[in-house]
Amino acid sequence: MKTRPSDREESAPSRRHRHWTRRANPVAGLGSFLWLVVVIVPVYAMLSASLTGQDKALTGNPLKPPTSPTLDNYNTVLRSGFGHLLSNTAIVAVAVVGIVLVLSIPLAYVAVRTRNSWSNAALRLFLLGVAIPAQAVVVPLYLLIAKLDLYDTLLAVVLPTAAFAMPVSVLVLVGTLRDVSEDLYEAMALDGASPLRMLFQLTIPLAKGGISTVVIYAALQAWNGFLFPLIFTQSDGPRVLTLGLFNYVSQFGVNIPALLASVVLSGIPIFVVYLVARRALVGGLMGVGGK
Amino acid sequence: MESNRGRSYSGRSGAGQATGGSPGNRAFSRRWVLGAGAASLLTTGLTACGSGSGAGGDSGTITAFVYGDDAVKVQQAGVSRFNKSAAAKKAGGKVELQKVPGSDYSPKLRTAMGSPSAPDVFFNWGGGSIKPYQEADKLVDLTDIIEDDPVLKDGFLPSVLAAGDLKGRHYGIPMRGMQPVILFYNKSVFAEHKLQPPTTWDQLLDNNAKLKKAKITPFALGGTDIWPDLMWLEYLVDRIGGPEVFRRIQDGDAEGWGDPAVLRAAELVKELVDDGAFGSKFTSVSYVNGGAPAVFAKGKAAMHLMGSWEYSTQLGKFPDFARKNLGWAAFPTVEDGTGDVRNVVGNPTNYWSINSRTRNKDLAIAFLRTCASEAYAKDLVDLGDVPTTSNAAELLSSAPNPEFARFQYDLVEKAPAFTLSWDQALGDGLGTKMHTEIGKLFAGQSSPSEFVAACKGLK
Amino acid sequence: MSATLGKSTTLDESASLDKRPGARVGRPHAVWALPGVLFFTFFAIVPMALAFYLSFTRWDGLGDPQLVGLANWQKLLDDPRLTQSLWLTVSLTVASWVFQTVVALLLGVWAAGPQRNRAVLSAVFFVPLLLSSTAVALLFYALLDPNFGIIQKDTLGSSSGAFLAIVFVGGWQFIPFHTLIYQGGARQIPQVLYQAAAIDGAGRYRQFFSITLPQLRNTITTSTVLIVVGSLTYFETVLILTKGGPGTDTAILPYLMYEAGFKTYDFGYASAIASFLVLAATGLSLLLVRLSGFGTMRSTREGM
Repeated sequence: MKTRPSDREESAPSRRHRHWTRRANPVAGLGSFLWLVVVIVPVYAMLSASLTGQDKALTGNPLKPPTSPTLDNYNTVLRSGFGHLLSNTAIVAVAVVGIVLVLSIPLAYVAVRTRNSWSNAALRLFLLGVAIPAQAVVVPLYLLIAKLDLYDTLLAVVLPTAAFAMPVSVLVLVGTLRDVSEDLYEAMALDGASPLRMLFQLTIPLAKGGISTVVIYAALQAWNGFLFPLIFTQSDGPRVLTLGLFNYVSQFGVNIPALLASVVLSGIPIFVVYLVARRALVGGLMGVGGK
Repeated sequence: MESNRGRSYSGRSGAGQATGGSPGNRAFSRRWVLGAGAASLLTTGLTACGSGSGAGGDSGTITAFVYGDDAVKVQQAGVSRFNKSAAAKKAGGKVELQKVPGSDYSPKLRTAMGSPSAPDVFFNWGGGSIKPYQEADKLVDLTDIIEDDPVLKDGFLPSVLAAGDLKGRHYGIPMRGMQPVILFYNKSVFAEHKLQPPTTWDQLLDNNAKLKKAKITPFALGGTDIWPDLMWLEYLVDRIGGPEVFRRIQDGDAEGWGDPAVLRAAELVKELVDDGAFGSKFTSVSYVNGGAPAVFAKGKAAMHLMGSWEYSTQLGKFPDFARKNLGWAAFPTVEDGTGDVRNVVGNPTNYWSINSRTRNKDLAIAFLRTCASEAYAKDLVDLGDVPTTSNAAELLSSAPNPEFARFQYDLVEKAPAFTLSWDQALGDGLGTKMHTEIGKLFAGQSSPSEFVAACKGLK
Repeated sequence: MSATLGKSTTLDESASLDKRPGARVGRPHAVWALPGVLFFTFFAIVPMALAFYLSFTRWDGLGDPQLVGLANWQKLLDDPRLTQSLWLTVSLTVASWVFQTVVALLLGVWAAGPQRNRAVLSAVFFVPLLLSSTAVALLFYALLDPNFGIIQKDTLGSSSGAFLAIVFVGGWQFIPFHTLIYQGGARQIPQVLYQAAAIDGAGRYRQFFSITLPQLRNTITTSTVLIVVGSLTYFETVLILTKGGPGTDTAILPYLMYEAGFKTYDFGYASAIASFLVLAATGLSLLLVRLSGFGTMRSTREGM
């Protein structure tokens, strides 16, 4: 960082508030450093072990850097169908995000713009939904999925995951959409705009922050999802990354280097997203917590 | 072996992706396309999906679920051989093998069997493990088919064929080797400390004391999986009270847990645990992930009470150890016990059963017949297993370790009683609850008498 | 806007909107909300009702469910494992809350400050967020392997070790996320407050307790709700690290339900546990809303 942070703050008019203290805080700094160690040690051990040959890993000290680093473990993982797992997860994530956006945006739009008992009831339904743990419905969902003949398909993972991502998404969107001022709608109404055109030309462009939060939230739900794939899929075809990782426990067993290489590989996609769109990702995550 | 499995796995899924040719994949992608519209046209999408067929897709192809461990390559070879055979062409189809990770084979099988994408043929342990399926009318009764088919009727040891029966009817064909539980030991550790495999409980305790002095854990034990714990109880109850004790429990009399032999066995287990015979960390060691075999192979533990598959597991993971240093012995006697030292516990073998809703029963039966073939039995022998086919005895000389194969064969052949693993005999429901109680006993969370009381209350 | 999501205020507000001139703006028809409502109802509400129904049946997953009245609920009340599990779940939630809140709050407030190196550090803190819960559980499963890991102790084999490991692993994964939330919250605190406090001679710690903490009240609530709901549903961590063991000492409610359903195939009983979980989660959420004014928090947020 070339400029002093405080200078940068002043040159960025979008940030209204300056930080609360300019003095360095040694105690907090030390605490942060400690946490840094807590984060780094497992990560370092993971990277180091994933580069170690299996035989050495069984005997050596995992904290020492590998003497002769090898990419064999990554090869082992990649050859065991990792790409397939990754593409399944990507499909699930895209589908979940798509469904959530297509269903939640109109819902939030109606909830904010059309205030009547129906839209209020709908909103309450979703408020209630926030408290339902997905685990609680896995048995009846299994019954449902089996009856619909969706067992062991990606759709069996996509549909419930999307449904359970909706409550938070709707609430986040309602919060964002409320910030769009009435005056703007009135201005568009003077131009004779229909509600549909208002949605696309006014609401959605102005709600980008909330929408990106929802995209990130829904994608993370799909990315993290474990229980639904565990119960609703079985074969190689629709196996997603989390379940693949879980299966590596019995496949690789104490081949800890390979196991850890698979963990490293599983983090790469989000790492790429982080590199490409750090601001959106961090902002979106902050948004999940309500900014 | 790991890389081997890995390769075949990726090869399969790769082919499926490239050509869209694997039936499972095709069904999935068709459904996917149909279902993609579900977001906007929910009902339409779902109805379309609902009309799709099961996992197999093509009527000719049937799926077979198998427990995905190191031994699965024998089934893999068997399937490829069968798919090229005239018998498969005659029955008009192919078999697709689905390797289900071992740690949750039973739940996966159950959820799949409850859905329309159920397998046509599936691996099981016979007895209690298939009882719910039989009761739900999901199994093909093979009794008459076997009776009318000399290949099946004369192909297997009758006692093994019968061991998986339910009420005198056959529902399965043996498809893996015999799996008696054996006391394995590390020869070089034993030689170094001048030890002999124990033949009595006192000798075993004596060995333990010497090993602990040398800072070696006497027994490897994969305590997180719990079924390895169970093997200790199975043998101790047998040696103390004979096979009748568990027979009574298996027949549905929960009071059978009150037999003094069960309490005595639990007390001996507690003594071993407290004495550190399994080391201090066994409750976090797993067999399934290879932890316990590695501890044993690396000489950190001197002995391992395990099913005979330990040999092929070690041959897969630590081939040098399996060839040079792996020793084996029968479970020792317990002083004042009434059980015969020749008695064996474990699994007689594993079975293939056929789903009564299969799309191609003829194909399934044709596939099952291949398990009686010499080529299949030979693959098992090559892996270190002892097949349960009638011709097994002649094939043993070509085993990777004929001595071990012969030991195993004799052990089973001469055993006055072969007690089926308790969890398999009781079935999944009761078996899992029993596992919980055994886990608590080994973890020191319940005393032997509490253990007995809790088992009596199992329903 | 000061609307809560409650009905009364919303109605007031729409009434006031209608009084304004030029309010005859075209509004979307309520039907637009229908697909979303139907979808959610079908995949979340109906299954929840179904879980409740199944809790009165016996079902092994193969045949059809058969009504057995209150048998499963009776069993639930008599089951010593439920008591243990409930206690465990509560302890886990409290321990996770304390651990994650304290660390994340301090880190977040610190990271909102102007330190020169915080950008680099923030990036490192972010690493656990790259990994899914499954991957994180797997990582620690490997690192804690009693014979081949980094810490070759019986961590996961002792009751307290396994419990603390689950709390720690959960914290390791989620603290970065909560840190971000607090960082966002701390940035919203008006600088004037600190300047005024500084003029009054308040020291750093005084400022923290009398300005930062009260100002972050709403952020704390949000983060608390997320932590509590999150801890109630720890599942893969338990499944991968301990399988509920040693013995039954880490079998929290979701795991108990999984075991009842998908290990012993007693889906009726599993549904009873699930229904209990829903009741507990809803009750707890309502309690949290009551205690902390979650609704108030939402409205302040919306006001921003």
